[in-house]
Amino acid sequence: MEEPKVELDDLEVNQERLKLNTNQLKNLRVYGSLNAGMIAGILGMDGWIGIGIYVAIFLIVSACLAIKMNFRVKEYFKSSYDAYYSGIGTDLLLFLMIWVIFHNLVNIL
Amino acid sequence: MSDILIDDRIRDWVFLPIIIVMFMIQMFRGLLTKYMDNKKTTQKVTSKAQVAEMIDKNITQQSQRLARLHGLLPDHSFKMKRAHLCDNKSGILTKASEKPAKDPMQSMSMMNPAAMADMLKQNLSGIVFMALQYQWVSYFFSGFVIGKVPFPLTQKFRSMLQRGVDVQNLDVRYISSISIYFVLLFGGLQKIQQLMFGDDTDEFVDDTQMQMQMQMMGMPTMPSFGQQNDPGKLFIAERTRLEGVKHTFELNKSQDKAIKSLKRFLNQ
Repeated sequence: MEEPKVELDDLEVNQERLKLNTNQLKNLRVYGSLNAGMIAGILGMDGWIGIGIYVAIFLIVSACLAIKMNFRVKEYFKSSYDAYYSGIGTDLLLFLMIWVIFHNLVNIL
Repeated sequence: MSDILIDDRIRDWVFLPIIIVMFMIQMFRGLLTKYMDNKKTTQKVTSKAQVAEMIDKNITQQSQRLARLHGLLPDHSFKMKRAHLCDNKSGILTKASEKPAKDPMQSMSMMNPAAMADMLKQNLSGIVFMALQYQWVSYFFSGFVIGKVPFPLTQKFRSMLQRGVDVQNLDVRYISSISIYFVLLFGGLQKIQQLMFGDDTDEFVDDTQMQMQMQMMGMPTMPSFGQQNDPGKLFIAERTRLEGVKHTFELNKSQDKAIKSLKRFLNQ
C-alpha cells in the first residue's frame, strides 16, 4: 500500500493535552491579574498607569511562559498568539475588581 | 475637590462584609449546583415520541463520532460502518431522513417536566441569588459613599455609581455601595473560586456531550434550531458529510510520524 509523505505539520493536536495546557494557562493568567491588581491597588496608582501595570504584568507572564517552554510554542499550544496574547481582555475585569478593592482598602478607607 | 475622609467604620462594617458575603454566596452556589447534579436521576422515557427522539439523537451522535474519529478504524471496518449508516437502500441515515418534518407545536412537547424542572433549578441558583444580593445591599448600605475608583470617569457614570448619594458636585470617583456590588459581580468571583477550589472534573468533558448539553439548554430559543422542525435535513447533511470523508487509517502513518519525531528529538 502506498504511504503518503508525512510532514511534521500533519501531526494532529492531542486534544486532552491541549485542554490541560489551556486550563493551566488560564489559571496562570488569573494569578497574574490578581497580582497586578494588588500591586496597582497597594501602590496607589491612578488611571492609565494602573492599566499599564496590568498590561506589563501580562506580558511578563507571557515572557516567563515562553522561557519555560524554551520558545517552542507549537509543542504546547496551537499558536503563539493563543499562548501569549489571546486572553488579555477577559482578565481585565478581574484586574479592575482587585484593583478597586485593594485601592480602597489601603489608600482610602 | 478635596479628598473626602471616610470613616474607619465604613470599611469594617460595609466594605469588608459585602465582599465576604458575596464570596460566601458564590461558594454556596457552587456547592448547591454540585448537590443538585448529584441528585439528578436519569429521566424515565415515558412516551413514544420521546423514544423516537432519543433514537434520533443517538443516530446523530453515532454519525458524528464516526466522522470525527474515522482515523482510528482500519479500512474495512470504516467502510462497513459507513455503509451501515449511509447505504442507499437500507442505511439508517437514509431511512431517518425520509421522516416527515415535525410540527412546531408538537415539538414543544419535547420539554418534558424533568427538563423544565432542571432549567428552573438552574435559573434559581443564578438569578434569585443575584436579585437577593442586590436587595440586601441596596437596603442596608444605601445613602453613603463607600470608596473611590482609581480611574477617571465621565459624568455619565454618576447615576450608576452614586445611587442614593445626592450630592451634585461630588467627584464621580466616589462610589456608593451598589457599585461595589456590580464590580464584584462582573469582576468574576467565579474565577477566584475556581482557582481556590479547582475544578478537576470538568477538564475532560467530551465535545459532543458538551454540545448536547448546550442544545438541551438552548431549547427555549426555538427558531434558531432547525433540527426541531426538520430532522430530515440534518440527517441528509450528516450523510453527505460521512460520504465525503477521506478515510486513512492512522496506523499506516504512524511509522513515518515516529521517525520524524525521533529525528527531531535527537537533533536538539
